[in-house]
Amino acid sequence: MVEADREVMKAEMMKSYIWLQTTDGSIQEVEQEIATFCPLICQEMHSGLGTSKTYPISLPDRVNPAMLSLIIDYCRFHQAPGRSNKERKVYDEKFIRMDSNRLCELTSAADSLQLKPLVDLTSRALARIIEGKSPEEIRGIFHIPDDLTEEEKLEPLKNTMEDSRIRLLNRLYARKRKELKERENLKNAQNEEECVDNRPLDDLLSFINGGNGDSKGATASKSKKKNRKKKDQQKNAHEDNNPSNNISFCNAIDNDKKKTNGHDPSCPKNKLHGLSFPILSQLKLQDTRDINFAPEHEFDDSDLDDEIDPAMKEKIDREVEDFARRLNSDWPERMQEILCLGQEKRHIPMSMNGNDASVKLNPKIKMRSEVPKHSSFI
Amino acid sequence: MNVSVFFFVNQKQREPHNLPCRLDLEIDKISSLPGHVIDKILSHLSLREAVRTSILCSKWRYKWVTVPSLVFDNQSVLVSSQDQTVLRNKLVNIVDHVLLLHTGPIDKFKLSNRDLQGVPDIDRWILFLSRGSVKEFVLEIWKGHRYKLHSSLYLCQKLIHLELFNCLLTPPATFNGFKSLKSLDLQHITMEQTAFEYLIYSCPLLERLTLMNFDGFTNLKIHAPNLLFFDIGGVFEDVSFQGTSHLAIVSIGLYVNADYGRNLALGKPGNLVKFFAHLPHIQRLEIQSFFLKYLSAGNIPVKLPAVCDDLSFLSIRINFSDMEEKLAALCLLRSSPNLQELELLARPEEQGGLRFVANILEEDYQNGPFNQLRLIKIVGIVGHKQELSFINFLLINSSALEKMTVKPATSDRGWEMQKELLKELLCFRRASINAQIIYQDP
Repeated sequence: MVEADREVMKAEMMKSYIWLQTTDGSIQEVEQEIATFCPLICQEMHSGLGTSKTYPISLPDRVNPAMLSLIIDYCRFHQAPGRSNKERKVYDEKFIRMDSNRLCELTSAADSLQLKPLVDLTSRALARIIEGKSPEEIRGIFHIPDDLTEEEKLEPLKNTMEDSRIRLLNRLYARKRKELKERENLKNAQNEEECVDNRPLDDLLSFINGGNGDSKGATASKSKKKNRKKKDQQKNAHEDNNPSNNISFCNAIDNDKKKTNGHDPSCPKNKLHGLSFPILSQLKLQDTRDINFAPEHEFDDSDLDDEIDPAMKEKIDREVEDFARRLNSDWPERMQEILCLGQEKRHIPMSMNGNDASVKLNPKIKMRSEVPKHSSFI
Repeated sequence: MNVSVFFFVNQKQREPHNLPCRLDLEIDKISSLPGHVIDKILSHLSLREAVRTSILCSKWRYKWVTVPSLVFDNQSVLVSSQDQTVLRNKLVNIVDHVLLLHTGPIDKFKLSNRDLQGVPDIDRWILFLSRGSVKEFVLEIWKGHRYKLHSSLYLCQKLIHLELFNCLLTPPATFNGFKSLKSLDLQHITMEQTAFEYLIYSCPLLERLTLMNFDGFTNLKIHAPNLLFFDIGGVFEDVSFQGTSHLAIVSIGLYVNADYGRNLALGKPGNLVKFFAHLPHIQRLEIQSFFLKYLSAGNIPVKLPAVCDDLSFLSIRINFSDMEEKLAALCLLRSSPNLQELELLARPEEQGGLRFVANILEEDYQNGPFNQLRLIKIVGIVGHKQELSFINFLLINSSALEKMTVKPATSDRGWEMQKELLKELLCFRRASINAQIIYQDP
């Protein structure tokens, strides 16, 4: 029997231990068979580390001492062979009873040690916490900051109209979105004052009065097309289809008219910008959502500033209105012309103000029957 | 020795008592978990809930788009509307929307919505999936015609599990099988005979096969060397296995009562022998509906040439008045020395049975010791002499029996019949001293 005892003792002493070191520097000794339940530790061991205190296995950052002890408890239980499935399940259920913060930490630690069964267990527990809760509740539990702007909380992808609260929320969001967009546009308008249009007022007026065929104005715009296109594409990112375009257009009108006192090569087509806004606003072409065409891109808020004289502004308004009416009446014939010209060659004579722009700058425009609605800047 | 371990253990116990520092409490830890862990968490939620996490915060906006499993079922569309078109359009929109926003591999795709009949949009989605590496595909068409599966489904070579309900399968001539398929579940499907045979044959890794209510083919030639689980229920004329040496669990239900002996040649082995010829390692067998009738066609030996050593659970639906069926059952019992659990479900006598009712001779009840049989369950008997003599036979030969439960069928005669039955049961000798006979009310 003494022999046997000695054998047992020897076996006990032969039980090897692994040294593990967490990021805070503390070193811990754990039975090898328990620690190697974690694939990462197993791997490190095979490359020679961990056998002595001076060369411990450094555990990844995400494993702090508290988590390590939890994980070791888990490993200790599960690596023992004689447990029934039921026992393991019961243990698991008890094991994950902790607050969600710790659960997240534990998930993270288990994942860094590649301990898949524990990751599965904790993920399922976290999913159970999230299930069935409203976003506010989830944010509360996990301390997630609520940093989405109102307008980013778009309609939910899944149809949740059943819930009256959600319907109400959606309505509120839609309203808020609108307000925000308006505010943003105003802000944008103010931000882009640097781009000053210094073209003389005469140019602008003559353009308006000339109506269909002011080649002078057109030529000017023609030469500046290249810049425009680039700018348009940049601005496209900001553009969003929304009802508040109306408002931005109105602002643009004001701003544009103030800019008529000087040339500005970098802001070509300002005249057109100035024109389009009032036209568009007065014709109430607001449903720009389904339209992807150059005019809208062209007439963004970029070239606005605030120096125009109010009296002059009114005069210009009236003239522009006239022009608009005239334009609308000839639209069908004009359309035909544009189409023919577009097919012949790229550079259309600038008898059609701005047609050229629309055709050249954005060949993607499909001249559909809907076009009259929005391309009437021409 | 392990002071450090104890130190940490103590610390763990102490922790709840420490006042947690405020900063630690309010840090958002979940959002910084690695992507694959978040995917795991989200895949335990319904797709709807997973998508809703996109409004939690800016970090969570697109966390759901990598979730590897997409399940569109009756919870996906919550709108209840009377208009079928509206519902259908909504569901189609949702699936389109999700597929478009999703990135990364899709491992599982399940579409099972009661309002979605065989819309052609499904073709488009199958095509989309076939360009990826979908591993599990489940399509259930709840109502309407058999939906003809788009041919691009047959290009999904990474499929491991395929489950179809109410579909029409027409693999193209270029179809080479699903080389990774391990599990196939086909219910209410239509397929051609050769196509079916080839499908089974060309999936070398097939381990599980479930077939319920199929048409278009009647001969089940199952050539599947890795098959472990086989569950079918339907109308067929013949079933034969080839090379299925690992098949362990079999459940077969033949729903139609027909003369299954007409195709058998005289002198050749009967269906029973043929059936078990390729099932050397069968462990659980359920013979349902009229399958025993099929098995009892042709010659029935006293004992099978190939003994079923591994058979430990046997469930048979049997017509006790049919001599052939009883003989087949007896043969089977005799060939399963290690049987532990037996279930006999009585099938009521059919009208105009093709076999005349005869009593089994005493000799047929020989050679029966069932040394491992512990549990017997008998359901649906009426109390006929044939039934009782069978039960008697079992009791006499089961020296290890622990429990026998008897549950009679409901009958007009009611208590009278039950009394008779009970009286008989009490009389029977039992070979096992531990045997309990438990009588359950019908």
